[in-house]
Parts: sequence; C-alpha cells; structure tokens
Amino acid sequence: MGHRAVSPPRPLPRGPWSYLAWLVSRQRGRVALGAVLGSTWTVGLVLPPYLLSRAVDGLADGQRDVVLWWAAALVAAGGVLTGLSIWRHRTMTRVRMDAAFRTMSEVNAHTVRLGATLARRARTGEVVAIASGDAWTIGRSLTATGPGVGAVLAYVVIAVLLLRISVLLAVVVLAGVPILALVVGPALGRLQKVGTPYREQQGRLTGRIVDVVAGLGVLNGLGGKVIYADRIRTESQHLLQQGYRVGRVTSVIQAVGLGLPTLFSAVVVWLAARLAAEGSLSVGELVAVYGYAAVLAVPVASVIENAVDLSQALVAARRVTDFLALRRDNTGAAAPSGEGDLIDEVSGLRITPGTFAAVATARHSDAAALVDRLGGFQPGATWAGQPVADLDPAPLRGQVLVADNDADLFAGSLAQVVAGRHEVDQVGEAAVLDALHTAAADDVVRGLPEGVGSRIDSGGRNLSGGQRQRVRLARATAADPAVLLAVDPTSAVDAATEATIVDRLARNRRGKTTLVTSTSALVLQVADEVHLLVDGRVVATGTHTSLLADRPEYAALVHRGERSDARPDDEAQT
Amino acid sequence: MSAQLLRVAEPAEVRRAAWRLILSDRAAFVVVLLTNCAAAGAGLLGPWLVGLIVNEVQAGAGVAAIDWLGLLVLLAAAAQFVIGRQARYKSYRFGERTAARLREQLVDRLMQLPARTVERVGTADLTSRATTDAALVSFVLRDAAPEMVFAVVQALVIVVAVILLSPLLGVVGLVALVAIPVVLRWYLRRARSAYLVQAAANAEVAEVLASTAAGARTVEILGLQEQRTTACSSSIAAATAAQLRTLQLRSVFFPTIDASTALAVGTVFGVGGLLYLDQQISLGTVVAAVLYLRQLSNPIDTILIWVETLQSSAASFARLEGLVSPAEPPRPAPTGVTATPVDQHIVVTDVHYAYDDTDVLHAVNLNIRAGEQLAVVGPSGAGKSTLGRLIAGVDRPRAGRVTVGGADVADLAPEQLREHVVLVTQEQHVFADPLRDNLTIAAPHATDEELLAALGVLGADWFDDLPDGLDTDLGIHRLGGAQAQHVALARVLLANPHTLVLDEATALLDPTAARRTEQALAATIRGRTIIAVAHRLQTARDADRIAVMEDGRITELGRHNDLITTTTSYAALWRAWSGDTT
Repeated sequence: MGHRAVSPPRPLPRGPWSYLAWLVSRQRGRVALGAVLGSTWTVGLVLPPYLLSRAVDGLADGQRDVVLWWAAALVAAGGVLTGLSIWRHRTMTRVRMDAAFRTMSEVNAHTVRLGATLARRARTGEVVAIASGDAWTIGRSLTATGPGVGAVLAYVVIAVLLLRISVLLAVVVLAGVPILALVVGPALGRLQKVGTPYREQQGRLTGRIVDVVAGLGVLNGLGGKVIYADRIRTESQHLLQQGYRVGRVTSVIQAVGLGLPTLFSAVVVWLAARLAAEGSLSVGELVAVYGYAAVLAVPVASVIENAVDLSQALVAARRVTDFLALRRDNTGAAAPSGEGDLIDEVSGLRITPGTFAAVATARHSDAAALVDRLGGFQPGATWAGQPVADLDPAPLRGQVLVADNDADLFAGSLAQVVAGRHEVDQVGEAAVLDALHTAAADDVVRGLPEGVGSRIDSGGRNLSGGQRQRVRLARATAADPAVLLAVDPTSAVDAATEATIVDRLARNRRGKTTLVTSTSALVLQVADEVHLLVDGRVVATGTHTSLLADRPEYAALVHRGERSDARPDDEAQT
Repeated sequence: MSAQLLRVAEPAEVRRAAWRLILSDRAAFVVVLLTNCAAAGAGLLGPWLVGLIVNEVQAGAGVAAIDWLGLLVLLAAAAQFVIGRQARYKSYRFGERTAARLREQLVDRLMQLPARTVERVGTADLTSRATTDAALVSFVLRDAAPEMVFAVVQALVIVVAVILLSPLLGVVGLVALVAIPVVLRWYLRRARSAYLVQAAANAEVAEVLASTAAGARTVEILGLQEQRTTACSSSIAAATAAQLRTLQLRSVFFPTIDASTALAVGTVFGVGGLLYLDQQISLGTVVAAVLYLRQLSNPIDTILIWVETLQSSAASFARLEGLVSPAEPPRPAPTGVTATPVDQHIVVTDVHYAYDDTDVLHAVNLNIRAGEQLAVVGPSGAGKSTLGRLIAGVDRPRAGRVTVGGADVADLAPEQLREHVVLVTQEQHVFADPLRDNLTIAAPHATDEELLAALGVLGADWFDDLPDGLDTDLGIHRLGGAQAQHVALARVLLANPHTLVLDEATALLDPTAARRTEQALAATIRGRTIIAVAHRLQTARDADRIAVMEDGRITELGRHNDLITTTTSYAALWRAWSGDTT
C-alpha cells in the first residue's frame, strides 16, 4: 500500500506585498537583468535627442563633411536602443510568465493539499478566478520591477543633462516632476473607485451569462428564453451606463498622463527658446531640450501604468494569499493500525475485516453520511479502536477508499484514469483491463477509438452517465484498497449490467473488506451481510434472503413498496 | 471532439461582421475619427513651432517675437490636451456601446442555437466563448481600440505633415519605413494561429486548475496529488512553449519596426542636412521633419503594444461570430408532411442514428398511442437515451422519421415542440434566480398557488425549509441533486405537454422518494403519454408496455406480464431481481 505524502505546506507570504516580493525573489537574476535592461533602455532614450542636438549645431555651423556621420550615429543609436528594447521585452515577458505560472502552480499544489477540505468549504470558484485572471494580473504588475526602475533613473539622467545646459531649465524640470505626480496620483485613486462597481457589475453579468449557457437545455426544452434575454439586456444596458462613467474619468486620466508632460515640455521649450534668443543657448541645445522633454513622457507614462497594474495586482495577490492560508480541517497524525473492526458509532454499524457488507437505506443522504464517517471525513467512526477522523490522512487514504458517485474523472487516457495514482506502466495494461472488466466496462473500451489509450475528457464528458460510473468503479477496484466503501456504485447502470458488476466485484474483493450501499436486490443478494438502516440507525442485520423473510420494511424497500401498493395483477408474479 | 461542432468564422466573415458593427453606429464612429484627427493635428503644432523658433533664432529675432511663438507652443499643448481627452472619451463611449451591442447579440445568438447543437457541443465551449472570448473582445473595444484609433490617426497625420513640410523629405522618410508593412504582413500571417494556440494553452492551464479544485475530494481519496501536480506542470509547460513562440514572433517584429523608425530619422536628417547646406530648405524645416519622424515612434509603439491583443481579440471575435451558423447536418429534403401535429400519436419509423460514423440505432420502429406509458429498458449503450432524445425532437435521425401527429418532431419550432413533447433528464439546471423564476420559465402566467401545487404533488418537502419560500434565491441557497430534479419535474408539470420523455428523471432521488415522485407524476399527468427510459425494473413493471433495447435495436416489445412468461432476457432479469426462482 503506497503512502501518498501530502506535501507539507511551505511557508508562503501572508500579505499581498510580501507575496509579490516573494515572486520577485524566486527569479532574482531575471528580475535584476530586467531592471538593468529596462533602466539602460529608458536612460538610453535620451541618446537620440542628444545626438540630434549636436548634429543640428553642426549643421548650423555649416559643417558639410560631418552631416552624414551624424546621420549614421542617429541610426546606430536607434539600433542599440532597438536591441536593448527587445532584450528587455523578452526578459520581462519571462518574468511575467514565471510569476503567473508560479502562482498557478502554488494554487494547484495547495488545492491538492486541501483535498476534501476545499470541497467542503466550496471555494472552487476562487481557484478558477485565480487561474483565469488573477495570476496574470499579478504577473503583469512585475513589469514595475524592470521599466519601473528605469523610469526613475531616466528622470535623474535627464535632469543632469538639462543642468549642464541651463540651471533654470533643470530646476523647472525637477520641480515639475513632483507636481505631475501629485496631480496624477489622486486621479488614479478615482479610477479605481469608479472602476469597482463597473467590474462588479461586469462579473455579475458574466455570471448570469454562464448560468444561462448552462441552462440552455432547459430554456430550449421549456421556454423562458425571452425572459432571460430581456434580463441580460437590462443588465447589459446598466453596465453600459457605468462604462460611460468610467470612460469619462479614464479619458481624463489618460489625457492628463499624456497632456501634462506635453504642457510641461511646452513651458520648457518656451523658456529654452527665450534663452536661445538671448544667445545663451545654441539652436542644437534648444532642439535637445525639446527632445528631452518629449522623452520624459515615456517614464511618466510607465510610472502611471505600473501604478494601475500594481493596485490591481494587490487585490489579486490578496485573493491568492487568502487562499494559500486555508488549512486542512483534519490534521490527524495517528497512523492507522491496519486490521480491525470498522465501527460507526452513530448508526451502530460494525464491519468485520474481510467481509462483503451491504447497507440498504431509503435515504441516500444517510448512506452518504455513513460512508463519510467511515472514511474519516466526518467524526463518529472508529477503525480497530482508533477514531478514523483522527488518523493521518496520507496512509489512511491508501487503505480505506471511499468511492462515491460525485467522484471526479480527470482528463487523461482511459488507462491512466483507471490506474489512478500509479503510472500505467507500473500497474500494467492487463491490470487496467482487469479492473475495467470487473466493473463491466469492457464495452467502454471497445466503444473508444483507441481502446484504453483513448483520451477521456475532464469530468468524463465524452462518456455517458452509466459509463462514467463504471469507469469510477474500475478505478476504485484498481486501487485495490484494504477497505472499499462504495456508495450506490450501480445506480446508473441497467439491471443486467448491475448483476454482472456485483458478481465480479464480490469475486474481486474476496478476502478484503467491502461495503456497498444499495437498494437493489441484485446487489444485496450477493453481500455476506446486509444491514438495514432506518433513520440513520442499523435496525436489522442478516442476509438478503433472511431480511426479505423477516423484515417487511426491508422487502418494501428493495422492491420499492411493491407489497404495499403494487397493482393487483402483479401480485401473482412475485 | 466537441470543439469542431461549433465553427470559428473565416477572416472574410470577421471583417464583414466588424464592418457591420461600425456601420450600425456610423455617426458616432465618424465623430470618433474626426476628434482623433483633430487631437493628432494639435499634437503636430509643437514640432512645427519649434522649427519656426529655430528659424527665428537663426535670423536673430528678439525675445518678444520668440514669446509669441512660445505662447503658441503652450496653446498647442493645451489644445492637444483638451481635444485629446474628447477624442478618447468619444472612443470609449463608442467602444463601450459596441461591446454592449456585441454582448447582447451574443446572448441572442446563444438563445437561437438549435437545441441539438447545444446538446452536442456541451456547455464548456459555449461558456468559454460567452465569457473569455466575449470579455477579451469587449476589453479591446473599450480600452485597446480607442488607443489604437488614436495611434493610427496620429501616425497617418504625421506622415502627411512631413510630406507637406517637404515632399522630398517625406518620400525619403517613407522609403526608409518600407520594412514596416513587410514585417507587419509577415507577423500578422503567423500571429493569428500562434496566438490561438497560446490562448488555448492558457485555457488548458485554467481548466486543469479548475478540475483539480472541483475534484479536490477525489484527489484526496484516490491519492492523485502527484497526477494533478504533473498535469498542472505539463499544461504550464505547454502554455510556456506557446507563449515563447509568440515572443519569438515579436522578437522579429518589434526590432524591425524600431530600427525602421531610427533609419528614417537618420536618413531624413542626412538628406535634409545636405539640402539645407545647399540652401534648398531652411534649418527649421529639417528640424521639424526630424522631430515629426521621432514623434512617429509614439503611435507606432502604441500600435505594437495593442496589435497582439488585437490579434487575439480578432481570434476571439471569430469564435463569437462562429456562433451564428453552427455546423448543422444538412436537413433531409422535405417529405411533404404537415407542419402542425394533428394529434398526439407518436410514430418512429425505420430510424437510424449515428454519432460519428457508426449507427447507434438501427431501423427502430415504434408506434406509441396517445396516453400510453412506455418503458424503455436495456443495457447501457443500447441506445435508450438516444431514442428518447429523438422522440423529444432534441436530435434528428440520420435516416427515418419521428413524427408526432404526422409532423416531424425535429422540424417543430421550440415553442411548438414544448407544447407536445418535453424531455426530462437527470442532469437539470437550476438558475441562480429565485425559485419562482426557475419555475415560471415553463409557465410565465402561473400563480404562486399553481407553483406550490406542482411542488407539492411531487412531494418536494424541502420547500418548507427554504428561507424565503418561492423568493429564495437559488444562486445563494443551492439545491441538491434530488431537489433540482424536483424543480425540473415541477417545470414539466407546469409546461403541461401531452407527451413526456423521462430519461432517468428520478435517478437522483432516494428510492422511496423516486417511487413516490413517479407515482405522483403518473397521477398528475394521467391521460398523457410517458416514455420512460429506465434501468429500474420497478419502473418498467408499472408501464403499459415495455420496449427492451439491445445494440441499437428494439428486441422485445410487450406488456410486463407477457414478457416475463417468455424466455427473453427481460424475463431472466426480472426473475433475478424479484428473487423469483421459479
């Protein structure tokens, strides 16, 4: 019995900021390279205006022989910047990918760690939200580490260059920066505020559309399309009005982001032009000042963009850290001792090792709760004297297998689905076919284009309900657990197949402990011991035949009340 | 397999559809273009004025003259600010409106999809189109398109301005930029499929995570931790490869564009400089032309940033447009039958049905009297559910006919069909809406009393536990499988068709509850035709007639009492089940 280690949760950052920092620390080298390239490139942007100013001065002096050299230098500088730019983009793309995929990996790993706890807390929606959106939002925000750093540096370089041309101009630029930031900052906050109801409404609308898509079958069969179409239209129009409001603010912010630097550079140009007219500035320097002021727009724009990305990423990262902070419900550490009676204290059920037991009850929910307790998902049962819920889940799951009809089928080849936690090569195809045979699923193999090698879609979508149930059962028998607890394993198959399955299952499980819940006579007559459960308590135990004879309520249950309300002409037949 | 059932629109269709969207709001679109042109034009005043200043300074103009030009530079910047904001706002409104129109169109299209298409495609593909694709397209319309329009207009206006300034320099600049259309063409040809692969790979990662989460309990029970981790990392590896492929494309595309603009700036300066030294143009003209070309990199960068998003959104748009005319098997030629059923008599004549190439139904014939209760039994995969769906008109036979009152059921309009035949399966959707709305879809004018009566008849005792009765929001208060089945059956009672096809419609109920529900159903719809696909023998026993199906054929057909006295497989099973050893 292989022990599957539930990998212990690694200490991961708790807050959104530290989570982002952690993502950076996972790829320090790459982030550093991105920062260097981003900075070099942004700073390098001042090179062309600098070269241009020198070239214009040369032209103004009438130097014919150097014109082409300057032209070549402009092209070469452009070439270097081009190289830096793509290198930076390649690096930053990898940084973003790493952050996004690492987040998804961690979330997947934690989902796996949480196991049944996640199912109980019904938090699956969050995982979907993280995988489809949040992870990428977080990845995008790491852009701030590269070009973001460069933006600040470029600012400094431009200030220094201006200082060499004119102190007055440099002071204007240095003072202008904080003013720009102060004006743009509050506007960004406003954008977040306006955007929130919009995004919420958008989420609601998407949810509604998903709901309608899932219910299209119902709407097609029974009507109601007009009502739903109208409802979505109303909400869509509502979203449109909110969108207009967001657009009003967004357009102002973007105009500010682009327009303020332009206005600012206009002021700088005016000042420079006056200095040039006074003769304290050359024509080339005037052009340079204009160029520098224009280049300034790049770092300002990227700072604004980074701020928006970051504010969104913090929300996303909070969702991720909250999810990663979820802890398993049962933290039992006791090792199961193995053999011994399995006793459910709530119902009074006792299963002795090596028997094929059956539980018959009128209520599905009672059977499911019973199996949940025996499997240690809920307290109330003991195994060889130990409370099952307090046992270490890793070894426990290897020995006690709960097979319920809600169990999911994951995408993969049929052989892989059946082989479960083992590799197909490890267990051998023969074992897989054997398990499928036990579950009377040979026809599933035959019906698929490539036999056991055929791909099963996620959720077994390309199988029928009955096929899915048999594949699940095959998977459970292939795992060959010491204790198999199966909830109504034949509920979706026809009577003939049911008879075949129970027959083979009983043979397959000989010598091991098995419990099935069912109300089908075909299943119950195979069991060594049948327990009749009424209102969640065992009221009678015996064989199918003895219970049929002794307990009228049992007969009523398995023949579905036929003795009490069957039609008279049927009486003769039974 | 299901992916091929829904189309992806061809590029030509996509272009036509995009054009239709623009035309339907053309006045606004013209305003968008005009304001964007004005904003771009205002942006050009700056370099032109700098050129003038250069000329004035060279000519030794005084500070007063320069002040006038300086003031103009400031005014130009202010104009750019104000007009630019207007241009963006107009674009946003246009984009937002178009996104809303697209969204509403999408819902209409989903509603118009034939039932059999929905049935076959499954909800996964439809959902991803309705959410991921629709979201990307509206994002582009709202955020990317306005930027893109602004950038394209700006780039064009700049090129025109250089040509106006000096036709020769304009031509030199354009020649230097010639690599851009070439590389753009190269890129766009490859980008579409590469970004489609990337989107699919990303969706696969999300799918893996979603199924791990949905099946978290199963993962724990079966110890599939390692499998799921492997599945996650291999899907991530595939997505990484797909992203690196698109990055590779950009690694050719971006540098070519950047280098081209640098080349244009250099050559225009070189040629312009020589022309200036030959005194053919002023220094101001050279400076303005060079500054313009340098300004060109702004719109080009914007276009570069968005062109990939635009590409993927074009792919998404194609998937949305693909919803219009889903791949439908060609309808058989009209056979001259009446379009409206004349009675409630259902006849299945020589029906064949194939999922792929192999028939799963072979020459099935069945004649169902009005008011008859027919049970269809047989092993899994025998074609019971398929037959049920054909009778309910959800699907169309490959050959042969299924008629109600002489009319082909598959040809009936949904509104008409639901008055005659309704199919109930065990998979029933409950909308995230109040219980009342969930029921009234089948009977919009039903009173609360009628709704409660329908639930009461079915024995839906859980109703008493609902916090707000009929007003309980089932999106918050989720129903269990058995409860959902009650809702589904209550809808059918309210819809009141003369024929019901029940495909394991009570399978999720407790045995006793199922029994009670079936009896209630039978009592309430007495006089109606019921075709019940069942694997429970008790259900079969209660029916007027039983059809036993095996391998896509009806092998036995008759009354329970007649069948069990024979040596048929049904008789053998019945004996095993009832414990009758005689």
